[in-house]
Amino acid sequence: MNFKIRHKFKELRNQWHISIEGEIDIYNSEQLKRKLYELLEEKQADLYINCKDLEYIDSTGLGALVSVLKKVKQFNGNIHLSQLKPNVAKIFKITDLNKVFLIEGAAHE
Amino acid sequence: MNNPKSTSMNQDIIELGLPLNPAYVSAARLTASSIANRMGFDIEEIEDIKAAVSEACTYLIKQYQLDKNAQSTFKIQFMIKDEGLEIQLTTRKFNKDSDREEDGLGILMLEALMDYISISNKDEIDTHIVMMKKLKNS
Repeated sequence: MNFKIRHKFKELRNQWHISIEGEIDIYNSEQLKRKLYELLEEKQADLYINCKDLEYIDSTGLGALVSVLKKVKQFNGNIHLSQLKPNVAKIFKITDLNKVFLIEGAAHE
Repeated sequence: MNNPKSTSMNQDIIELGLPLNPAYVSAARLTASSIANRMGFDIEEIEDIKAAVSEACTYLIKQYQLDKNAQSTFKIQFMIKDEGLEIQLTTRKFNKDSDREEDGLGILMLEALMDYISISNKDEIDTHIVMMKKLKNS
């Protein structure tokens, strides 16, 4: 199973709006990191990631997001995550990464 | 289906042999999910088991990628027990000389998601990961 990523740059707010669909694991986490790096090279802006259709993320996917966050922090930006599914929200919680990323909106199905 | 033995899963062992290749981790997750569902775990517990199996596979694959002489396959056994699901992952022991990458996040997740987890290289020949998720009311 793979993932899809959609992205749109909001010019007025200077924000990347991204949605990730599918599962992120050791098979494709490197791809996710590269894609997000590409967006940041195109425009340095905050990332707003909608996780409504993100079914699963593993430790390598979290690692990818953390390295993207480091890049974003270099220009005082941030990563905002929203609409996490309960299983995905739990993974952020047990790794304490819910304190590192800006997570918006309660987890719901 | 008249024979009650035909539907009882108790003490069954399901074995899966996979290449140590990231492409098959999702196959391990799907198998885990299906077995846990049949055993009566709830949705949250099934997600925990899926994630734990995924992290355990990832741990072995990362070790394998650091050791050029390693065996290229591993085995997962799902052991259905009265008290819950025991999962064992086994592969040939990795070369000690290889730089062992610390995988703190993966191990942390395994510990948080399962009731019991151990990783051992004690055996002369094999590396084992053993973990257990207990059924409530067992």
